[in-house]
Amino acid sequence: MALKDCYNFNDFRNLAKKKLPSPIFHYIDGGADDETTLKRNTEAFNQCDLVPNILANVGKPDLSTTIFGKKIDMPIFLSPCAMQRLYHHDGDKASARAAEKFGTFYSMSTMANNTIEEISNISGGPKLFQLYVHKDQSITDDLIDRCKRSGFNGMCLTVDTLVAGNRERDHRTGFTTPPKLTLQSLMSFASHPSWVFNYLTHGKFKLANVASKTDKGTNIAKSVIEYINEQYDPSMNWKDAEYCVKKWNGPFALKGVMSVDDAKRAIDIGCTAIMISNHGGRQLDGSRSPFDQIKAISDAVGDKLEIILDGGVRRGTHVLKALAAGAKACSFGKIFLFSLAAGGQQGVEHLLRNMHDEINRNMVLMGCKNLKELNSSKLIYRN
Amino acid sequence: MNLKDCHNFSDFRKLAQKRLPSPIFHYIDGAADDEVTYARNTSAFDDVDLVPNVLRGVEEVDLSTTIFGKKLDLPFYLSPTALQRLFHYDGERAVGKAAKKFNTMFGVSALATVSVEEISSMIDTPKMFQFYFHKDRGLNDSCLERAKAANFDVMALTVDTITGGNRERDLRTGFTSPPKLTLASLYSFATKPMWGINYLTKGKFELPHLQDFVKEGTDVNSSIGNYFSTMLDQSMNWKDAENLCSKWGGHFALKGIMSVEDAKRAVDIGCTGIMVSNHGGRQLDGSRAPFDQLAEIVDAVGDKLDVICEGGIHRGTHMLKALSLGAKACSGGRLYLYALAAGGQAGVERALEKYKAELVRDMKLMGCTKISDLNRSNLRFRK
Ligand SMILES: Cc1cc2nc3c(=O)[nH]c(=O)nc-3n(C[C@H](O)[C@H](O)[C@H](O)COP(=O)(O)O)c2cc1C
Ligand SMILES: Cc1cc2nc3c(=O)[nH]c(=O)nc-3n(C[C@H](O)[C@H](O)[C@H](O)COP(=O)(O)O)c2cc1C
Repeated sequence: MALKDCYNFNDFRNLAKKKLPSPIFHYIDGGADDETTLKRNTEAFNQCDLVPNILANVGKPDLSTTIFGKKIDMPIFLSPCAMQRLYHHDGDKASARAAEKFGTFYSMSTMANNTIEEISNISGGPKLFQLYVHKDQSITDDLIDRCKRSGFNGMCLTVDTLVAGNRERDHRTGFTTPPKLTLQSLMSFASHPSWVFNYLTHGKFKLANVASKTDKGTNIAKSVIEYINEQYDPSMNWKDAEYCVKKWNGPFALKGVMSVDDAKRAIDIGCTAIMISNHGGRQLDGSRSPFDQIKAISDAVGDKLEIILDGGVRRGTHVLKALAAGAKACSFGKIFLFSLAAGGQQGVEHLLRNMHDEINRNMVLMGCKNLKELNSSKLIYRN
Repeated sequence: MNLKDCHNFSDFRKLAQKRLPSPIFHYIDGAADDEVTYARNTSAFDDVDLVPNVLRGVEEVDLSTTIFGKKLDLPFYLSPTALQRLFHYDGERAVGKAAKKFNTMFGVSALATVSVEEISSMIDTPKMFQFYFHKDRGLNDSCLERAKAANFDVMALTVDTITGGNRERDLRTGFTSPPKLTLASLYSFATKPMWGINYLTKGKFELPHLQDFVKEGTDVNSSIGNYFSTMLDQSMNWKDAENLCSKWGGHFALKGIMSVEDAKRAVDIGCTGIMVSNHGGRQLDGSRAPFDQLAEIVDAVGDKLDVICEGGIHRGTHMLKALSLGAKACSGGRLYLYALAAGGQAGVERALEKYKAELVRDMKLMGCTKISDLNRSNLRFRK
């Protein structure tokens, strides 16, 4: 199996599974507890149907949309994901370059292996930074200042990781970062020699953006979970979020909003966007899926801020359904990480090309000339 | 397993799978993307239940219905499907003769492998010509003139193939028409020698309605998606449909309508029927199932033109449900295509016989003696 045989989520996932040591594959693939929310995130799209219009002479549909003050060429972008060096030795550089090529956002996690400066040097494309509020406020301040200097377009504050979710696959595989060789994982690393070779020969693994501020979680074997629990401030509240919004003073989203009330409060503290998300089912299992919740949120606040649907998106038609329900764009994590693992920058480009073609094809089949025409009249919920 | 062991849709499907080289089987059996819509087309029928009436005296059941001014002995007919000689060497000849025997409508595709002239000399029962709107206006005129001269009763313009659907099974098997021997498909063709022998010895494979207009001739390998995307006119609009309708000057239908709005416009441009259809789930995945959408459309236009419920039908009871909701008739592709592959004309006749017997039995169990006895009081939707 090669990249050119990858047509959809499962193909990328299978190829990534082949290439990655199993603890790393399962770190991407897994969710919290019984993974019911993880599954529901995608299944939710199947409870409603698109209704196309015919004979509409759409020509070449316009797929562009504007988020975080930036016009992007298609309504989908890369969610912020930690530690991309683990999935491919080019890590965030590969993702950022691919996103730029397709005229859409790359997002950088606080826990990226490249620095803010490194990425802004290699990519002039739209960039979003994902912030965690640290117990040590100087770390948070430093991140915001550097993003501003480096020309990032927007910022999102992740609000659904006050404590780490219960990812049981990671307990079982003994996933730590950087990877530690336990007897259990040894076999799997040994059977993926090219991953190990690339990992060891392409520079040292570190959490680049916070490395100078903390000695923890960068070069000692420490699980992500422990890192989250030690570094992130569990007492984070609306005031802290408002502080970040003010300090950034630009397009700002809360990532992980699920309730209508919280969406309204996001407006009050000055957010320009929200990302409806449950962290890809990796945090609170049994929580509602973004697509199930989007209609209520968009009815309440859709005219006041940009809504981004994050989680469960696997197909162009999922994007169309989210847009018809009120999103301005969607973002995805796992599918793009699998494509990264499958083929580095080329892999992510292959995915973005597939996604672009799917959205384009389905817009034509829907009879829609631009994304505005995708409104609630095109979507029917079953009972 | 052979024909006499086939009692229902899935039996015919199994036998077809045994007989056909796998790229050809999957061309019939597959659908777009994740095939969610394809599955829903059939499962939609299970969300509603039939409520029978007893003690009505039902020894004689009349299954006839009148559509497009023609009386059919069955309340369903055979949807137009492409390339039938790939499925069985008799192709349209087998299907047409079987349709004649049961006095139901035979739908002939623009991509048929037997000419309209030959079909019309073979059968005098109701015939529908399915029209694709090509960029080449000469080709369009020729199709129309030939179908008219061959005394076809109905013209159906397919409106849901503005661009090719994403049929991933075909991408994997490398399905093209006529079939090309690739290393990947060679094995499958080699293990079905009877199919290969018949294909090679029973006359040259052609698309008689297209061949004079395709420079390279129609025996050049091309994928169907490619045909849709390069030869059909994507700018097709309501005016074009209206012109075609008046040029034809007889019974005219739009095939692939899903929205109420479009159904009303079909009335305005002079259509005498519409097929509520999503092309058997082969085009826009995530789109609504015909049965889910039927009631709304019947309510809006059911008194002005013939509404046909097309796709997903595996059983007589599925047809009874659609007819109860107000469809004038049902139609399907795979419901006879597997049977064609399984046993040529005898296969199709056996399938029609089975569906007819089911309909008669189920009508009696419902306490109905004619199609007009069926109405919405026979149905209960589960909530
Ligand atoms: C391996 C992995 C690492 C992630 N790291 C982060 C992170 O550092 N910060 C963050 O806000 N979200 C993180 N996420 C969540 C994603 O941003 C996104 O919300 C989620 O992946 C969306 O669901 P999807 O994977 O179904 O598309 C991560 C997700 C995965 C799969
Ligand atoms: C193998 C195959 C070929 C088809 N070819 C055509 C075609 O040439 N023109 C057309 O309008 N529809 C075509 N269709 C769609 C059918 O007319 C019909 O809409 C569909 O089969 C209904 O779904 P069902 O198979 O579940 O009954 C084709 C369908 C199949 C399965």
